[in-house]
Amino acid sequence: MAVAGGSGAAYASTPMIEGELAAVIDATRHGGPEPVFEDWALRTFAHQFERNAPYRAFCERRGVSPATVARWEDVPAVPSAAFRHVDLACGPAEAVFRTSGTTAAGRGRHLVPHLPLYRASALAAFERFVLPDGFRLTCLCLVPALAARPDSSLVRMCAWVGEELASDVEWFVGADGLDVERLLTRLADAETHGDAILLLGVTAAFAELFAECRAQRRVFRLGPASRVVDTGGQKGLERPLSRAAFLRECWTLLGVPGYYCVNEYGMTELCSQRYDSALDDRFHGRGLTPRRLVAPPWLRTRVLDPDTLVPVRDGDAGLLCHHDLANAGSVSVVLTEDIGRVPAPGGIEVFGRAPGAPPRGCGMLLADVLAS
Amino acid sequence: MTAESVETLLARIDAAVRARARLRGRPLDATIAALVAAADRWRDDAVLVRAVAEAARLSPPVVTAGLRFAADAIDAAALRSLVEAEWGPGAARRPVPEGPALVAHVLASNVPALALPAIALGCLAGAAVVVKSGRRDPVSAPAFARTLAAVDPDLAATVVATYWPGGDVAREEVVLRRADVAIVTGGTSALGALGARLGRGLVAHGPRASAAVVGRAADVDAAAEALALDVAIHDQRGCLSPHAVWVEGDARGFARTLARALDATAIAFPLGPADVEERAAARVFAAEAEWRPGMEVFGGVVYEEADVFRPTPGLRTVRVHPLGRIDDFPTRLAPGAVECLAVAGLDPVLLAPELRARGVSRVCRPGRMQRPSIRWPRGQRAPLGVLLGRAHEPQLEIEP
Repeated sequence: MAVAGGSGAAYASTPMIEGELAAVIDATRHGGPEPVFEDWALRTFAHQFERNAPYRAFCERRGVSPATVARWEDVPAVPSAAFRHVDLACGPAEAVFRTSGTTAAGRGRHLVPHLPLYRASALAAFERFVLPDGFRLTCLCLVPALAARPDSSLVRMCAWVGEELASDVEWFVGADGLDVERLLTRLADAETHGDAILLLGVTAAFAELFAECRAQRRVFRLGPASRVVDTGGQKGLERPLSRAAFLRECWTLLGVPGYYCVNEYGMTELCSQRYDSALDDRFHGRGLTPRRLVAPPWLRTRVLDPDTLVPVRDGDAGLLCHHDLANAGSVSVVLTEDIGRVPAPGGIEVFGRAPGAPPRGCGMLLADVLAS
Repeated sequence: MTAESVETLLARIDAAVRARARLRGRPLDATIAALVAAADRWRDDAVLVRAVAEAARLSPPVVTAGLRFAADAIDAAALRSLVEAEWGPGAARRPVPEGPALVAHVLASNVPALALPAIALGCLAGAAVVVKSGRRDPVSAPAFARTLAAVDPDLAATVVATYWPGGDVAREEVVLRRADVAIVTGGTSALGALGARLGRGLVAHGPRASAAVVGRAADVDAAAEALALDVAIHDQRGCLSPHAVWVEGDARGFARTLARALDATAIAFPLGPADVEERAAARVFAAEAEWRPGMEVFGGVVYEEADVFRPTPGLRTVRVHPLGRIDDFPTRLAPGAVECLAVAGLDPVLLAPELRARGVSRVCRPGRMQRPSIRWPRGQRAPLGVLLGRAHEPQLEIEP
């Protein structure tokens, strides 16, 4: 891991807090204690205030410093727009991730100084919410391979999932987009052998798969415990596909029941993700409703009034503000352009983007591939 | 509010057309007098203010001002000059010449009291008028029709105020096909679809916004105060609401002054309740401005060096741009994007040819933007002439 040239002393401890947090998060996969959110939130804020100059200036304009912050809720939130205009990092970047789907000038970028922290967070959350039964399945990725899109945080996560949490991984998006014929052949093969598989990709790719299944009158009954993980929502879809319709298609065309269909909510600007609660609820014997997006204990989300930036009343809609400890290397608190609410404690529901906010997100990944 | 059946609506329209035919020999002056008297009675109706405020989600003081401005436009001298512009001197003393039998207006939802000029112009054209209100103001059109009935029941019988929820394409088509002329305001895609279905007789008004330019000779404080009022009325929802101001000289200082003026104006004219989406859009606008190079945020005002006209998300947010040279100012306005330009501290006549070429229909002083006269050639079309199907050169009104 490189440290910043010329100011080695300033950055000498950069990996320490991030490395320490990565170890704590990783340990949760093996029964270790969860990080104490408030303690880590205050530590990471102090770390970021010290080492992230644009963020420090932003905080100082608001009269906020580590000396004035006593609660995690008081750490200033940076709007996601900031990632489109400045680099917000606490040290030299080990990876740079870019948002998809907007003009080059309008793209945000997230500098991640310590990839192992992102990896620890991504894998721990994926395992918790998608593979609570500990299964290791063949992973069919409906996203480009890492070599084609090294700047996609989603692709990077999929690659890690393939390496660490799957028995095998195959990629189905190339320079010409989704290779749907090869995918259909692969699904037929899995069906024939009764294999359970993990289909992981952007919602738009699933929509393309469903359309092709219907066009070719193909229906699959994938092996029991097969599951679908999609992300990106309506973005990048040629035609609207409601969540209910998506789940219906998964059952009708793939034979995957709704509780094995897990929607992922992530952002390039965050190193942690939220997941549909259904599979986790089922595995732990809870009711499946209301379906909501739940998070690992190192990611908290508040729903804020757009005018005042104070939390709205329970159940009301507002702007989503994420506090992600795994973002220790950049900025932990991100005020998004997404509108949502808390339908039940611990989970959120996302309605869409604020009008006027640039279109972006993983859902545009396929369109990006074709455009390039 | 529930929509009446199509049969009932068509029966009312037919009755209005017959009532209009009975007024064929009536001099226009009688129509003008009735409209002015009705507007005078209508302007200060406290019950109407409350009803519009609730439906439109505007504060009562904003509604009160908007209704007064709408009533002020129903002015006898202005109405008389309109009919004389179309039919020559003395036209007001004569019956209206043969023209359309039925004019239909589908009003926008963003601004209340749009029914007044719609009804007045239709009556002046000698037509029966059917007015479909917007979702956010289903009350002011029937209220004006009732007031007109109290003043002149014969003329009121030629007016049909109605409402149906947006997206009722079948009903819309039945009514609009029945009319000789249909004036429709709406989004670009909806208008495109309607134009394809209806073809002739459709006059479409798409989304537009307004702007201002402040020259070096302007009284900056007065200009900012007046523009703040223009922004506040209708909570910046209308096509006459300014979204951008170009400033010759200290643009950053003007942005600060305008922000203060907006705060002060909000005391007398509070912002109405807004949806979370609208408020989120305003937050995203300010957040982007705080981080983008060349921009600075002063409350709801953003100083921005980029100088192409772009509407803000509304909710009383304004872009202020520095302006080096006045003479090339109109190049900042994309053709068809700007309806009205407020001008302070310079002679607007110098800019007129370029503004006309870019689709601007009205130039006025700051503080007057939300007070168009009945003569305003919206979309550069002669307000009465367009109902009569007359071809006119694109018009630009420069208020003194």
